[in-house]
Amino acid sequence: MIDAKTTTPAKTKASRFSLAQRRTIVGYIFITPFILGFIFWFLTPALVAANLTFQKWNLISAPRYIGFQNIERLFNDPILLQSLKSTLIYTFASVPVGLIFAFFLALLINTQIPGIAIFRTIYFLPSIVPAVAGALLWAWIFNTEFGLLNAAIRALGGAKIAWLQEPSWAMIAFIIMSTWGVGGAMIIFLAGLQGIPDVYYEAADLDGAGRWNKLVNVTIPLMSPVIFFNLIIGFINSFQVFVQALLMTNGGPQNSTLFLVLYIYRTAFQSTNMGYAAALSWLLFFFLMIFSFIVFKVLGNRVYYEAPGN
Amino acid sequence: MPIDKLTRRNFLKIMGASAAAGAFISPREALFLAQAQAATNISFGGWGGVAEDEGVKAAIAHFEAEQDKIKVEWQHTPDAGEYGTVLLTNIAAGTAPDTSFIVADQYETLRQNGALLDITDYIQADPLLGQADYFIQPQESNRSADANGRWHGIGSTWVAHHIYYNQALFDEAKITPPGFADDEIWEWDNFVEICKQLTKDANGRHPGDAGFDAENIQQWAVDWPMWWMPLAAAVHSNGGQFITDDGLSGLDSPEAMEALQRLSDLIYVHNVAPRSAALTNLGMNNTQMIDSNRLAMGVDGSWALSWMNPGLMQVPMGTGALPKMKQPATIMQAHFHCVLAGSKHPQEAWEWVRFLSTPFYQTQFLKIGLWLPSQTALATEEGLATWITEGVHPANYRQFVSDYIPKHGVAARLPAGYIEAQNDYLQPAFDALANGEAVEDVFPKAVKQANQVLEANR
Repeated sequence: MIDAKTTTPAKTKASRFSLAQRRTIVGYIFITPFILGFIFWFLTPALVAANLTFQKWNLISAPRYIGFQNIERLFNDPILLQSLKSTLIYTFASVPVGLIFAFFLALLINTQIPGIAIFRTIYFLPSIVPAVAGALLWAWIFNTEFGLLNAAIRALGGAKIAWLQEPSWAMIAFIIMSTWGVGGAMIIFLAGLQGIPDVYYEAADLDGAGRWNKLVNVTIPLMSPVIFFNLIIGFINSFQVFVQALLMTNGGPQNSTLFLVLYIYRTAFQSTNMGYAAALSWLLFFFLMIFSFIVFKVLGNRVYYEAPGN
Repeated sequence: MPIDKLTRRNFLKIMGASAAAGAFISPREALFLAQAQAATNISFGGWGGVAEDEGVKAAIAHFEAEQDKIKVEWQHTPDAGEYGTVLLTNIAAGTAPDTSFIVADQYETLRQNGALLDITDYIQADPLLGQADYFIQPQESNRSADANGRWHGIGSTWVAHHIYYNQALFDEAKITPPGFADDEIWEWDNFVEICKQLTKDANGRHPGDAGFDAENIQQWAVDWPMWWMPLAAAVHSNGGQFITDDGLSGLDSPEAMEALQRLSDLIYVHNVAPRSAALTNLGMNNTQMIDSNRLAMGVDGSWALSWMNPGLMQVPMGTGALPKMKQPATIMQAHFHCVLAGSKHPQEAWEWVRFLSTPFYQTQFLKIGLWLPSQTALATEEGLATWITEGVHPANYRQFVSDYIPKHGVAARLPAGYIEAQNDYLQPAFDALANGEAVEDVFPKAVKQANQVLEANR
């Protein structure tokens, strides 16, 4: 390593900091925008929300301290129970379905055929379509009388389904719709697949492994960090599903798509109960934290990291 | 010519040009400039599509041309649904506008919490608005005045539900469509029978005919949306109350539940109404269904006349009253114009809200079919002549405005906490109704829970 003293003697003379200190300072300067953003847009609102948890505030009159009433309400709220149930069903169905679908698509587009870039673009495109536009499109697809999906079902001899009007079907509709946005996870899987050295497959070939064996014994183990990453991100994102439910069903029918974030939004800005909304937000935070912790504990040590020591 | 350096010569040139320009400003313009500086600026918050946005801008131009003391800054949010949130966050941040649209279901909450200025004294002192019959009564007082007779806003207009029908489908079935005169309003049972005649499956069979295929209906008779306004109209028609005199939900009364069950039966018993109507904003709406001869009658708000009118639709269009159960009824409501309590310019803010309640502002929206008048003078023969527009308003619309609405229109006053009660309990009950669940299984429980919310907000 070249010593700074030998390259810039004049500057070194004026400097009161060692190289290590200067590097530390530069490092902090680089992360300052993030730190400031985090403090102002995440930490401060979170702390304000923590304080609001103990207040009654309708945004119009001044907040009033009410002790633990909002937290007590968390345990006696039938709508919250319904909302949590919907969110969990959606999460536990849409995340595995989305992961498998994204992985399958990534395998498909990880081939060298002419025009592969076009296929990659096609499959990725939905994930950059604005959520609002996507929601309106799907509302048409799910339309009971004139929708594309029911037209296909009827052509195959089935009966029409009231996708967005019946509570049980509305949840299935949302899970189907969630596969529309797997492009992001697919690209991450693709990057992972392309990072697997060919030597493993060559070795597997020599051992006489077929496609299925290569997938199960080479690809999936080596992809486990990527799968793990997509799983965690998928869970966090699906816990926070909001836009589609707001636009397509507004939580209905019969509160069956009233996901937790939509319930928080409604409680805060329509029912004007900021204190309780803050309590709900903290509940979501604890849920995500505990959930991530469990996933790390249960699955973390099954992930194979290709690094020294492994 | 760019001036690179400020030499003495250039300096003198600039000064000379400035003096010459100053000489061209007339004393009148100088006075105007001085007055403009002295004018009070007030802000006005609201929502609306292109037509409403342009209407407000035209009103501001008219108001500012009439006087030079007050200037109005329009703070526009396109989406009505989001405006309530925008306003609340502005109130919380201390940046609320001086004057604002207020959604009907937020008015009572804001009034109770002291966010709206009491303008009763201004109204009473006003030679025009203070007249006892200036507004259509008692509906205007029913929505604007509190229990003590104090006004914290003035209704912007009225909107109310009625039937829109495709004349061609009635002609084909040789059925006389409904009108607004008392003897043209259908009895409920008669309405159901007519609906059966207007509904056809792919083979042209009607409900009740042998071999009728309910899964394959090509032409529906009616679309009666399952949200509070059209539901409440039926409830009042059957002698019930959507909101009781005590400010609670009255949807668990026998009259209300009977009315609601009848609406559900249109879909599930009589097969004359489509299920997809349950979610009004999805896919093909009633307008497209009527225009493509898939629907004979759509129950919709009067505002829909701005697009579902004879001039814009492909099929011949007409309008008529909702069928009656015990009595003719429709629900009337609209947003309010209010002065925010925190305004530093209450007098000027009142002047602007007052202007919005004079004919100029309302007439622009009456002409395009978006609004119904709330001022008596605009509902007289003379007043109607100033805004009824050929190609927009069907021939019988004068009768709707001047006779049906004052006689049969019920003003809805939504209590504080209504939004929460509706979102959490009443809307899920409406959804269940649309899904064919029996009214008595759903409404007593939902109403009880909704009323707990309403009582907590008193």
